[in-house]
Amino acid sequence: MTVDTGLECYNCQTNLKSPQDIQVYVVNTNFTLRWNYAGNDTNVTFSAEYRWFEDFETGETEWKELPGCQNVTRTECDFSSAITKYYDKHHVRIRAEKREEVSPWSSIVQMIPFDIAQISPPGIELQSINGVIKIKVSPPEANQVQKMWINDLSFKYNLMIWENSSNAEFRNRSIFPVDVIDDLAPDTTYCLKVQATYPMDSKEGLFSPIHCVKTTRKVNVLFCATNVSIRALNMKFHLHWNNKYKQHVSYNVQYLIGYLKKLYDDHSMKWLNVPGCENITDTQCNFSSIITATSGFFYLRVQAMSEYNKSCLSNEVKVDPLVTNEIGPPDVKLDISDVLLHIQISPPGGSENEIMRDHYDLSYWILYWKNSSNNEEEIKMKEIKQTIGTISDLAPSTLYCVKVQALSKAYNKSSPFSKEACIKTPGDKTFPLIILATFVTALFAVLLVATPLVFALYQAYNKIKYVFFPSCQPPLNIEGFGGQLFNSPFLSTTEEPIENCFIIEAIITEEANQIDFKDYKHSKQSSRDSGNYSNDDDTSGSKASEETLEKEIV
Amino acid sequence: MNAFGLIQIGLILLCTTTTCSLQCNHLPLQQRKVIENSLQLLDRMGKKFPQQCLREKKSFRFPEQVLKPRQKETVKMAIEEIFQHIFYIFSKNLTLAAWDGTALEQFQNGLYQQIEQLEACVIKKQTHYFRSKEVNRLKLKKYFQKIDCFLKDKQHNLCSLEISRAEMRRCLQLIDKVIRKL
Repeated sequence: MTVDTGLECYNCQTNLKSPQDIQVYVVNTNFTLRWNYAGNDTNVTFSAEYRWFEDFETGETEWKELPGCQNVTRTECDFSSAITKYYDKHHVRIRAEKREEVSPWSSIVQMIPFDIAQISPPGIELQSINGVIKIKVSPPEANQVQKMWINDLSFKYNLMIWENSSNAEFRNRSIFPVDVIDDLAPDTTYCLKVQATYPMDSKEGLFSPIHCVKTTRKVNVLFCATNVSIRALNMKFHLHWNNKYKQHVSYNVQYLIGYLKKLYDDHSMKWLNVPGCENITDTQCNFSSIITATSGFFYLRVQAMSEYNKSCLSNEVKVDPLVTNEIGPPDVKLDISDVLLHIQISPPGGSENEIMRDHYDLSYWILYWKNSSNNEEEIKMKEIKQTIGTISDLAPSTLYCVKVQALSKAYNKSSPFSKEACIKTPGDKTFPLIILATFVTALFAVLLVATPLVFALYQAYNKIKYVFFPSCQPPLNIEGFGGQLFNSPFLSTTEEPIENCFIIEAIITEEANQIDFKDYKHSKQSSRDSGNYSNDDDTSGSKASEETLEKEIV
Repeated sequence: MNAFGLIQIGLILLCTTTTCSLQCNHLPLQQRKVIENSLQLLDRMGKKFPQQCLREKKSFRFPEQVLKPRQKETVKMAIEEIFQHIFYIFSKNLTLAAWDGTALEQFQNGLYQQIEQLEACVIKKQTHYFRSKEVNRLKLKKYFQKIDCFLKDKQHNLCSLEISRAEMRRCLQLIDKVIRKL
């Protein structure tokens, strides 16, 4: 805090010593300067000077007289009126004066008011009622115009409480400005004190004076709601409680918006009824209507009303929506295609699933394994962000089972696992395919070979038939060749015995007649000539001529 | 490196490990959502900025360097401080502004939840060892002191409240940007 130099001494032939150990003591906006003076001179007065640096500049500014610290005789002075810039750097120095003599200036004290300021004690009001202590804290600087601690909502109050007996335990707890201390024994005297703290600047204020109060007897109301608890699943919030009193009791569930507890006003009038849970007889309430993911904290309590119009308030429970809520299991559907297993995940929450996915940043943890008779199969795991996952590397004809869990890494929450879903991978399709392929190939091969073969055989047959059994007839006007010769045009003809032909006139006329008749026959036959019949006619024709010749010869 | 330096490092490590052991993983995600929601609520609680208040608009000069994300912890503390002051401003007597009560309640409750979370999750002791950042912190306090004085001088009239609302909206938008980078 202190800085060197400041020895502005023009006339150093003085016996006055300068003040030492200068300190600035600040509580809220009260500034006190304290110092020590070694000399034992009487009639010594002190005067101080100060300067400050606007907006953190470091240039030289003029020293000014410090009001409230001029010609003081004691070794402390109050200069609160001088300081208004609580966040600016200030310098203070002081010197001793005696008649015309002045001591050298003391070393300079450098300080930023806010940094060295202490928080004064808060005000306390206590009320002992029904075995509990109601406390109302008023902030430091409660009614001041000029404040060091502008934001009185930033204060956090620390309560220290102990039983007014020997070797009592000190208990520390944080309390709201308007609060109830209820974990106390009845008919006992407790002493307490409170300090205000400024957590952001790591400041702990001065403790209030000690207040002692005796707790009253606790009146046990029979029909109060007890064991008030919250069960929340997939952003559906339910409050549950018990009641040992079996007579007719109706309930009102009330809620308080969290931040109201931070204010200095009494919030007991600010509790509201949860819609749908007014004047009910059931020991549970669905209060999802007042909660959203970003709504912040809420407090809930149950007001039990007996038939005699007496009411009793239960304990309060605090709800932090996303932390209190539990994530339910997702739904799983499986689909298989070739070698891929498709997993379709329906996110938990039904209609609320968008909110949960958004605020929890959900991811999914998939467990899958082969469900065979051998239970030693390894369980494999996979984590995905989307709601569709695929698994490859599957064995064929195997039953695979899958279960999925939703995770929120940010909130360190996990849902229970979904129901197991199983699906069988299809059998090996390759073996039948091979058979089919082989068959088709063989068929093609056979056809490929057989077709030319058949074709060749057919051609050969045709050729043979053509050679040995020609279908065409020789023309009729070519005589002498006989049928024989034209029967086989391609084959070399054998030498035929040459017949000696004798032409006799008489025979000629008969022959001529016969020939005419034969011609007529021939012509007749030639008109319906076909390969099959022509041979016979030819032979018959030739034989007939031979017969007539022989006849004549004989 | 001297002994003091070693002590400093040791303390920083201690503080870091303490921070990590707290269940504060959800804070960045939750903060983003709450700030988005808060900006919407700020818009919803009142109408467009009144023309007649433009004359009275003052430049408060928000110290933007306080949100430069050089050190996560320092920025988080600055954010906490800003949230505290915004919470304070909107807890005053706002009847003259005639803003929507429900939106205002939800806005305050969201801010309050964030303040509580930050208080639980951000270790404060580190400030003593980062003296260079003190200047920025004090500038931030000065900024809010200016706004507070402004409101008091104008006795929380409509224009002063609307100007403050616009200014706080700007603060939240700057925080929104910074949080996405953190």
